[in-house]
Order: sequence, then C-alpha cells, then structure tokens
Amino acid sequence: MKNIYNTILKTSEGITFLLLLFAFFSCERIEVETPSHLLGGNNVYTDPTTVEAAIIGIYANLRDYGLLSGGAQGMSNLMGQYADELDYYSAIPLPEESFNKNNLTPSEPAVAEIWNSAYNQIYSTNAILEGVAGSDFFSEEEKAEFTGEALFIRGLLHFYLLNLYGDIPYIKTTNYIVNKSVSRMAESDVYALITADLLEAAELLPETDSTGEHTRPNKYTALALLARVYLYQKNYELANQYASLVIENNGWEDNIANVFLNSSRSTLWQFSPGQVGGNTLEADTFIILSAPPSTRALSSALVNAFSENDLRKTNWIGVVTDGNNSWYFPYKYKIGLGAGSSQEYSIIFRMAEQYIIRAEANTRLGNIAEAQNDINKIRNRAGLDNTTATTESELLIAILQERQLELFIEFGHRFFDLKRVGKLDEVLDQLKPGWNTTDRLFPLPERELVVNPNLQPQNPGY
Amino acid sequence: MKNYYRHTYALKVSLCLLFPLFTSITTYAQDAPYLVTGRVQDETAPLAGVNIILKHKNKGTISDLDGRFAINTAANDTLVFSFLGYTPQEIPIGGKTEFYITMEPSAQALDQVVINAGYYKVSDKEKTGSITRITATEIENQPVSNPLAAMQGRMAGVNIVQSTGVPGGGFSVRIRGRNSIRADGSEPLYIVDGVPYPSQSLGNINVSNVLGNSQSPLNGISPNDIESIEVLKDADATAIYGSRGANGVVLITTKMGKSGKTRFQINTTTGVGSITRDLDLLNTEQYLAMRREAFANDGITEYPFNAYDVNGTWSTNRYTDWQEELLGGTAYYNTASASVQGGDNQTRFLLRGGYEEQTTVFPGDFKYKKGSALLNLNHSSPNNKFTLQFNGNYVVDNNKLPPINLVNEARNLPPNAPSLYDANGDLNWEDGTFTNPLAQLNGEYLSRTNTLLSSGTIAYRPLKGLEIKTNLGFTTNTLKETKTSPHTIYNPDYGLNSSYSSIIVNEANRRSYIVEPQLNYKKSIGKGNLNLLLGSTIQKEITTKSLLFAQGFSSNSLIYNPASAANIAIMSNTEEVYNYRALFGRLNFNWNHKYIVNLTGRRDGSSRFGPGNQYANFGAIGAAWIFSKEELIKNKLSFLSFGKLRGSYGTTGNDQIGNYGFLDTYTSSGLSYQGMQGLIPVSLFNPHFGWETNKKLEGAIELGLLKDKINLSASYYQNRSSNQLVGIPLPGTTGFSTLQANLPATVENTGWEFELATTNFQRDNFSWKTFINISLPRNKLLAFPNLDASTYANQYIIGEPLDILLLYNSNGVDPETGIYTFEDVDGDDAITKPNDLKTIANLSPKYFGGIQNTFTYANLSLDFLVQFVKQQGRNFMANSPLPGTMANQSTEILNHWQQQGDNTNVQLFTTGLNQEAVSGYVNNYDSDSSVGDASFIRLKNISLSYTIPTLSTLGVDCRVYALAQNLLTFTKYKGPDPETQIYDNLPPLKLVSIGLELTL
Repeated sequence: MKNIYNTILKTSEGITFLLLLFAFFSCERIEVETPSHLLGGNNVYTDPTTVEAAIIGIYANLRDYGLLSGGAQGMSNLMGQYADELDYYSAIPLPEESFNKNNLTPSEPAVAEIWNSAYNQIYSTNAILEGVAGSDFFSEEEKAEFTGEALFIRGLLHFYLLNLYGDIPYIKTTNYIVNKSVSRMAESDVYALITADLLEAAELLPETDSTGEHTRPNKYTALALLARVYLYQKNYELANQYASLVIENNGWEDNIANVFLNSSRSTLWQFSPGQVGGNTLEADTFIILSAPPSTRALSSALVNAFSENDLRKTNWIGVVTDGNNSWYFPYKYKIGLGAGSSQEYSIIFRMAEQYIIRAEANTRLGNIAEAQNDINKIRNRAGLDNTTATTESELLIAILQERQLELFIEFGHRFFDLKRVGKLDEVLDQLKPGWNTTDRLFPLPERELVVNPNLQPQNPGY
Repeated sequence: MKNYYRHTYALKVSLCLLFPLFTSITTYAQDAPYLVTGRVQDETAPLAGVNIILKHKNKGTISDLDGRFAINTAANDTLVFSFLGYTPQEIPIGGKTEFYITMEPSAQALDQVVINAGYYKVSDKEKTGSITRITATEIENQPVSNPLAAMQGRMAGVNIVQSTGVPGGGFSVRIRGRNSIRADGSEPLYIVDGVPYPSQSLGNINVSNVLGNSQSPLNGISPNDIESIEVLKDADATAIYGSRGANGVVLITTKMGKSGKTRFQINTTTGVGSITRDLDLLNTEQYLAMRREAFANDGITEYPFNAYDVNGTWSTNRYTDWQEELLGGTAYYNTASASVQGGDNQTRFLLRGGYEEQTTVFPGDFKYKKGSALLNLNHSSPNNKFTLQFNGNYVVDNNKLPPINLVNEARNLPPNAPSLYDANGDLNWEDGTFTNPLAQLNGEYLSRTNTLLSSGTIAYRPLKGLEIKTNLGFTTNTLKETKTSPHTIYNPDYGLNSSYSSIIVNEANRRSYIVEPQLNYKKSIGKGNLNLLLGSTIQKEITTKSLLFAQGFSSNSLIYNPASAANIAIMSNTEEVYNYRALFGRLNFNWNHKYIVNLTGRRDGSSRFGPGNQYANFGAIGAAWIFSKEELIKNKLSFLSFGKLRGSYGTTGNDQIGNYGFLDTYTSSGLSYQGMQGLIPVSLFNPHFGWETNKKLEGAIELGLLKDKINLSASYYQNRSSNQLVGIPLPGTTGFSTLQANLPATVENTGWEFELATTNFQRDNFSWKTFINISLPRNKLLAFPNLDASTYANQYIIGEPLDILLLYNSNGVDPETGIYTFEDVDGDDAITKPNDLKTIANLSPKYFGGIQNTFTYANLSLDFLVQFVKQQGRNFMANSPLPGTMANQSTEILNHWQQQGDNTNVQLFTTGLNQEAVSGYVNNYDSDSSVGDASFIRLKNISLSYTIPTLSTLGVDCRVYALAQNLLTFTKYKGPDPETQIYDNLPPLKLVSIGLELTL
C-alpha cells in the first residue's frame, strides 16, 4: 500500500511540475535573438562608423550594380549598344541584344533592373538622410558630409533615370506608403529637384575628399554634375559658371596615357575597387581576348570617326585580329579585376567633360575664342591640331564630335548628347535598322505600371 | 484507407504488449513428448506473432517472423490459432505433426489498423479526422531516392510534382491546394519520428543551377528507411499542430525493430533510366530553311559574319540530335541495403544500412550517392511501466553533377552546329565560332549533405491509464555545395589561365532541438472511453549559411581550396535563430465504439513575429458516428459491414515567413569599398504583421460493403485561409519589390476526395485488389477588400483560383501581315498591359489521382499504379526562343506564316530585326496560345515480385523483383514533360530495375 501511495505522491508531483511547465511556456514572451549578420536600423545611426559603412555600401553597390556599373549591365555597355558605339556579337542571347537592336519591350528584365537598382540605391540615400537628420550622435561636420554625399547620389541617379525613362517620380523619402503610388513628374520639375539637391550637396560637401584618392564625391563633383545638368537644360550661363568653378579649382592630366590611371590628376570622382589590388569591371567587360569577338566590339562608325593620328585611338582603343579581319574594343581601362595591384579605378567624373561643357556653353553664349581654347585643350592632349571650326554651328558640330571621341563608352554620353541636341534620328536611322523615333526613351518597366497604375501612361511606342 | 494493415509493426507491437504471457518465441512444454511444427500465413504472406495455444493446457507459443512455430503437445489436443484482425481457428491435432494454416481476415480487422496521428494513435475505423497513408510495402516497390517521389499518385488530396529529373532535385507538394497568396507559403509541415523536419532548403540557387532550384531537403531521408508516411489533412488531424498545420502535416515514421528471431535481410537493386519525354525539334534542313526565310523576311541578303549556321562557316550538311547527344544518356541506378533486427518483448532493435547511387543522363562521369544508417531501439520494463525508444538516422548524400543541366543547350543549339570534339579528341571550338556546351563540364557541381535525425521517447506509466512521457529530438543538417568554373570552360583561344578560374561555395547548417513533455490519461466511463492528452513544446532552430566566392588560382587543381585564391569574397554569412513554444492538448471520448468526439487545441508562440503578435490559439472539434453498429442497420442492411459518418471543423495557422521580417535591419552587403565592408538596408519593414489563419471544415462518409470487400470513402472539405501573410508587391520606386504584411484576403480550397479499395477476386492462391483515389480540388480567391486598388489588382481576380494567368486573347496570325494579333480589349489601338490582359487561364489541376492494382498468385505478385492529372499548362510557346534566330525550335513552328493569306498559328520568321514581329512574339508569351492542355496519364510504377519457394524450405526467403517508374506517359502536351512543365528543367526519368532480397 505504502508503495502505491508513494507512487501516487510522486505522480502528482510530476503532474504538478508538468502543469507548471505548460503554464510557463504558454505565456512567456518569446525571445527574438538578433542574429550576428544583422544590425538593427536604429543602431546604424548612433555611430559615425556605421553610417560611414552604410554610405560605403551605396558606393560599392553603385560600382557593381545598375546604371554606373562598368559591367555588362551598366550604362557604358548598354547605352553604347543602344546608340552607335558598340556592335553586338554574341551567339547566345544576352540581355544587351535588345538594346543593340533597339527593340526593348516593357517586359525586358534589363529595363526593370536598371529602374529597380537605381530606386533601391535612392532608397539607401534617403535612409541615410532620414537617419542622420533624426540623430544626435554626430558632429556638424559629420552631418554635413553624410548629408551632402547622400544628396549628391540621389540627384545623380534621378538625373540618369530622367534621361532614360522621361518623366519619372522623384523619391525623397523611405516611406513606402508614399512611394508606392507616386506619379510621373514633368521633366522641369525633376530637374528643379535635382538642382536643389546638388546645390545643397555642393554647400555641404568638403572641397577635397578625405581619402585623397577621389573615391568620394566632393564639392567639385557636385558642381561638375550641376554644370552638366544646366547644359542639358540649355542654361548655358550657369553651365559655363559651374564648369569654370570646377576647372579653376582642379588639376589637369597632360599625358593621355595617364588619364585613366587611378593617380590621374584630372579625375574628379572614381570608384574604389572591391578588392585589394583590384582594378575595373570595365576592363573585364570590354577587352576582347581573341578574334572574333564573342560578345561585343566597337562599331566601325565610332572607330572610323577617329583620325589616324588621334592619340585617343592609339591609347584608348584596342584591336584583335584573326588574320583577315580586325575588331576594336574600348581600351581606356587596361587591367582586369583580379590583377594584383591597383592601377586603374573606374572614373565617373573627369575634367575633360568640364572643358567640353564650357566650350559648348561658351559657343552658345557667343564666346567663340574661349570655346576654341577649351576644345583645343582636349584636342592637343590627343595629339591633334587646333580646331578649324570658327562659327557657332561649326563649333557645335566639332564639339559633338569631340564629345563622341573623348567620352566614348562612358556612361552613355553619346546617346544623351545625340538626344539633347536632337540628332538621334538623323544619326541612328542610318546606322541602326531597328531604330525608331520613340526609342529616345526606354519603356517604363511593365511590372511598375501594373503595380502602380499612377505611373501610367507608358512612354510612346511601347 | 488502404488495406495494407496486416503488416503494420504497430499492430505487432500492440500484439506483443497484449500477450505478455508468451514472452519468448518458442516456449517448449517440458512434460509433453509430442512435437508439432508448422507455418501460419494469410492469403499473401507468412504471419508472425500468431498465438497458438493448446486448448486443454495453459500453454502456447507464437509464430516467428516467417510464420513458423513449434510446440510440444499431446497427440489428442487441439491447437487454437488466434491473431488480431483474423478469425480464430481451432484445429484438432489428430495425430498429425505438421500444420499449414491459412488465417482468414475477420470483418472487424479494420478496427485494428492503427494510424499515426502524430501526438497520438487512432484506429482507422474510429478516427475522426482525415488521414491518408502509405506504408513500406508501397515505398519499397519504387526505385526512387526521395520519399516525396514515393507518394506521387497514391494519396487523395496530395498533389506532388517533380520539378526536375536531375538526381537530388526538388518537388512541389500541395496538400488540398494552395492556401497562401505567397508562392512559397503553402508547404506542409514535415515530422519525422515526432521531430519537425525543416522543409526549407539549405541550398543556394546560385550554386545549384543544375537542379533548376535548390536541393530538396528531403534528400536527407532514405525512402527505404521509412515504415509509413501519414498525411494529416483536416482540422481534426492538424489543429494539434497549430500554427504549422495549415498546409497539412506529413508524418514520416522510420522503421522499427520487431521482436522474434534475429533476422538478417539484404536487398540489392540495379536499373537503368532515361528521360521521359522531350521536344520534337527541327532537323538541319528544316532549321536552315527557317533561318534563310527569316533573313529573307528581314530583307537581308548577305548573311552577317556571325550567322555561322547559314553563312557557310558551319557545314550545312551536319545534323546532330543535341537532345540525344546532351540529355540522351542512360542513368544507372544501384541500391544495396542490409538490416538486422530482433529482440524479445522487453527489447527490440533494428540496425539498417543502405547505399544507393544513380548516374545521370548527361555526358560525363556524374553521380548521385546516398548512404544511410538507421538504428532503432525499444525497451520496456518487465512490468511495462517504463518504456524507452530511440531512433537514430544518419544519411550522407553526395552529388556530383555538371554545373548546368544542358537542357537549353540541347534544345537551342542549331542542328548543324559543329561536332563536340575535334580530330584530336579535344573540345572543338570551330575557330571561335562555336560555344562548345561540353566545355561547361570542365566545371562541376558537388554537394554533400549530412543529416542526423535523432529522437527519443521516455514514457512512464505510474498508474493504470496514466502515462507521462517526453519526446526529445535533435536534428542536424549540414550542406556543403560548390560549383566550379575553371578557365577551361572558355575557348582556349582567349588565352585565359587559371587566374580566371573561380569557385562558389555554399556551406550551411541547421540544428534544431525539440522537447515535448506530455501527459496522457485514459479512463473507461461506463461504455465510454475517455482519452486526454496534454503537452507542450519547446523548439529552437539555428540556421547558419555562408556563401563564398573565390577567384584566381595558380592552378586549377587548387580550385577547391579557396585559401589559395587571389580573391575571396564572402557574399553572405547569416545566422538565424527561430524560437518556438507551444502548449497543446486533446480530449477524445468514445461511447461504445459508436459515437466519438475529438477535441484538439494548441497555443503557439513564434519568434518570427514581433511583440504583441507572437501568440495565437488554434483548435478543432471532430466527431464520428459509426452507424453500422446501430442495431437497425445491422439487421436491415446486412450487406453493409461498416459505415461511418465523420466531420470536423477548426482553425490552424501558418507562420511560413522568414525570420526577422518585422525588424528594421541592415546587413553587410558583401561588397567592399576603400577596403571597408558596406552596410545595406535588408528590406522594407513592417513591425505589425501576425499569424495567417486557416479555417477547415470537412464532412466524410466511410463505407465497407460485403464483409469489407469494398471499402469506400468520400470526403468534402472547405478550407479558408485569411489574414494572408504576404510580401505585398510594391513598385520599384519604394526601393524594394515587396513588403511583408497581413492582407485581409481569403483563399478558399474546396474539394471532393474519393478512395475506393476493393478485393475484386480472392480464391485459393489468387487475389486481385484495386485501390483508386481521385481528388477534385477547387481553389478560389474568395475575398480581397480593395483588390482593384491593391498591388495585386492585375494578378488575381475574386472568384478565380490563385493559379491563374491573365493573358492576351490571341487572335492568331494576321493572314495579311503574318504577325500575331491579339484582342485589343480597351480599344486603344495598342496591345498593352494590364488593360488587354483579360483572358484567364487556370493552371490548377482539375482533378488528379491514381489507380493501383495488385495481383498475387501464389508466390508471384504484380502491382501497378497509373497516375492521372487533368490540367492546363504553359506550352513551348511560353518559352522557346524567337523563331528565326540562331536557335533550334519545336517542329510545331513548321506550320508558320509564309505568304499573304496563310492561316496559321505561328507568325513569320525574323532574325530579330522586325520589331513588330518581336513584339508579337513577346506578347504571344503572354497570350492564351501559350497555354494548353497538360493533362497526362502516366504508368507511374510497376512492380513484379516472386518469392522462390524452394529456398524457403532452406530457411532463406528469397525474393526477386523487377520495378519500373514513369514507364509510359500519355499526353497531348506541347512541351517537354507535362508534369515538370518547367521548360529549362530536365524532365523526370523513367527507370527500370531488377532486384533481389534475401532474408535469413
């Protein structure tokens, strides 16, 4: 009997214990163990080092993905294909094929990828702007620098989106409730916002960047973009003014062989490579190792535009041959990613563009001599004689030509230039069988219109 | 429910427990001089554990695993044979010494089929919920390496689709349809021996491209180690799994040791396989005609230099069937296993080892290998108060595959493309004009998975009817997969060296432990039986993953050592912790085996939700009435041997979303700048989302006719999922494409399921049985407040299934222009999305099922399963390249537009320069002509087995068998395989194998 009682006693103890256990587990708040690979958003904006890392995150992302990437999906390649700079050679279909054939459709994944990656990068800049503004953990200098960089990148990305897609929404917040139903904005309104961002950035950014390598935008990078923005808007006074400011305060590289080295004196802003001893994605993308080309090569229209003694042709264009035929490729960057020592960085802003901007602005303003001087600066470095253009119209033609030869395969300059001077149809109709007038704008990504009907209507022709 | 109950181990276990009197296999009476021997069997196989008692003496024995027995008796005594589920027999000895007894199943047999319902077991006849099952018999007859493959076509309400024929690939599993608006939120919960088995793959799609998706996590279980798979479907069965039960529960029980003579078994199988189906492609003549016509259409007379196929660079006389060349190989399949088991009533054990390997259909030396070890131990104290059970299952799986599956190459390469090898036997690059597909094979995909599943149960029964027990489980799953891209995958003319070689490495580990203390109490109250269960769960799961990319090696032989790479990038490195707690219970009352009520409930808490949203309650009520036990029915409807009505209603939940979704977080971007790692925002965040709930209703009738020769069950269900947890699609302007949130939408799954099991013929040595299951599911988006204003406006339609496509209405090819035309619904003179996407195509299956027939004649047994699915699917038009470009095409395009007035369904050819034709082609993807019938009837499985009788007399059971999987497919589908449908994936394999099993 005693045994049984003991058992009962033990059992009821056991049951009580179990019930307590049940009760304990059923109401206690469950611990959420934050993992080692994540950092809470509110913790980022308490320390300058983590904000620095968040900004670095944007630059690294810009370098490797989207518009400014030197890879095949960046504008240097895609817009080179879309305009008259590159020919398409791949036997297996690549996304750039429809760029080359100018038959983009709204469902083209690359069209969505450019849009989405740019707005994702814009989100990151807005996160920084909001995070820094709402935090008491930074000095005024730190705040100014973080805010200035974020504003500059935000303006830069919207600038490209505007020129690719036409009227686009300008995104100034991380709030998805606002951003999910935005509408297209008129070009002038977008430019006004871009200009405002860049002017503020120019105020906030330091005169020289702390790295000493031009791997962070400074005041003059912002001014350089402003000069371009005003040029695109045909505001030649201001374009001239800002280009001059940049030119007066920055150096010049006389030796053409050094222009694309990371030590070049005429660089305003360049991307730091992703690995120690690394170089550029551009070199990996464009250099052709054997003939015939397997993916892309420079078009004969571009190659033939150079005169034989142009140093840019000999220095910046490479050639492969199979014995019978020759193919040419962009050779501004000569060293691939994993070379072991860093000699070239991908350059986004450089001085030559500022001289040509000023030349064009001065031409339009009637300052022919100043314009000739600036063009000659570029031509002389390329081993060419002074320009023979003397009238405004001759100069404009010479300037367009100089832009083509100086800035080829750099972030779509060629396409945007033809577009803003109204020569897209004139030039591309002859060279590209698939060209249509409506190809001046990309289609908006199909999904975007479906998910946010406020972005209707689609661009004409799609 | 299926009738394979006679061999269930559960039955035998209960038998051993019920008859503790006969504790050893053979009990010899010391005082009797007369020895009788014999063998007991039923109509199909020897019966183990049959009680053989001497009627006049208090002595007896039980038959061993081969059905044999021996007992000392007296010549004038009578043997009484009894066995649960069979009619007892009394046989006078009458001076004989040898007895061969065949036991007849009794009508009550079905009562005794015990079904695993997870936390408890129920008899098939008295279950209140909807549970379907397959057992080892069916699994072992199939030459498959993934348990999911073994379930296909055999279970009503369970739709399993194989997504690739590459070994190690995945499956899609839907139990009673798709509940979640999210594409990935409808996975069932897998429980192996009481321990949750995570169904999210550890694989990384960037590494395992060849599989077309991530690795199947269920590769970590060897089908041959499985005793039974039960699928829980309705609220009554799944509510006890609370938040994880919404999509059904798959219970996998591994094999257990059986008491009796220590028994060794070896089994070996060998077979061959090839892909089920492929496309009919153009031959060289047809292909070149297409290309020339395309150039002519585009007004190009001088072929461009890179049109190697037509401009004379490549011979126009060559023909290669690239599908045959690249995917047409024979896969060899071999398995071997050995097991030993035995024990007595106190302790039983099983030790099993298995090995299988399967080569691929690709050219080259590729192989999938899997080794498994299983240990099961059961112990109970002599007074049965204390029991202990341990299961350990360890599986190592090694996969070596090409880095890509070559399907696109096989379908797209021009038929006159050059030969793969040059005269020296080296890869042929045809002077740089040919991207040799075999060069890819210089790289490889390797994966190695180690899976340890261990679980234990300790139970103590201090008082009659009371049991205190704890389930303990520990699971660890480690995956390492790599994909190499040595520089040799490129044309050597590029002059690349190993500094261009790279490797991508995914290493992942998941550890989870679970503790589930439980209390079980049974009590008889008058004619009633009360069963009470109370338990709680603590579970923790830690998942770590790291993805590493290394490039630049001094030699390709160092490629597997990232430390010797010039550049290493850690692309991601994550650790996630999932905490989960629950309290659950069940109250079951059974009155006189006639009226049964079952209440289940669970309170769940999960770390996937933010503060205030962590806990939720789930519960269900189920009831059954066995009306055939009513006197009236018994008397008036004597043909009705069994009849039951049952129904259930309850709620379950779904927490299948990622961890930490409610937190605003930054993570390392994996990209460095100025020598420093960047941080990037992970996603948009929403701190407020909570559980998804699923309300399930079911009613069913189960009938047994003519002494259960015909068993029929029909059930109707209606499941409604609401408070949908979705990544709401957002426009890119928000910076991200989705946001995790609860959506006030309801998805309804309704359907009928029928199962019919008949014994068509049974006499002497011959029997014929049929099992048919058919499911008629219907999926519907029931409610969606503000659908038009939501981001889903152009994806779903209220009243229509989730698996719809909104398409253009194709008006065929314009006989004048030769270009596809579509209905301009909004009349704006342009074909645009979304306004012209108004044609609905329903891609969910209309019905599916299987018909299984089993014939046995003496020692010969033949079993075959025919699977059928009625559905629509996307055909080749949704995937194939633009006709006229440098890519081969389906022969369907031969009937294309050539001149004005042609009425065809394929537009004119273009090389891509005709922009209108390109838009027509792109729009045609999204038109109803890209959807067609994808129904199929497939001879899923045949097995033929023969037990060699002469060897049995030597004490060795020898069985030889032949198995075949996916042998024949009948379909009108215009695409590669109607099951897989995914154009870029390898179709499933058909396999034929033979095997031998020896038992001694």
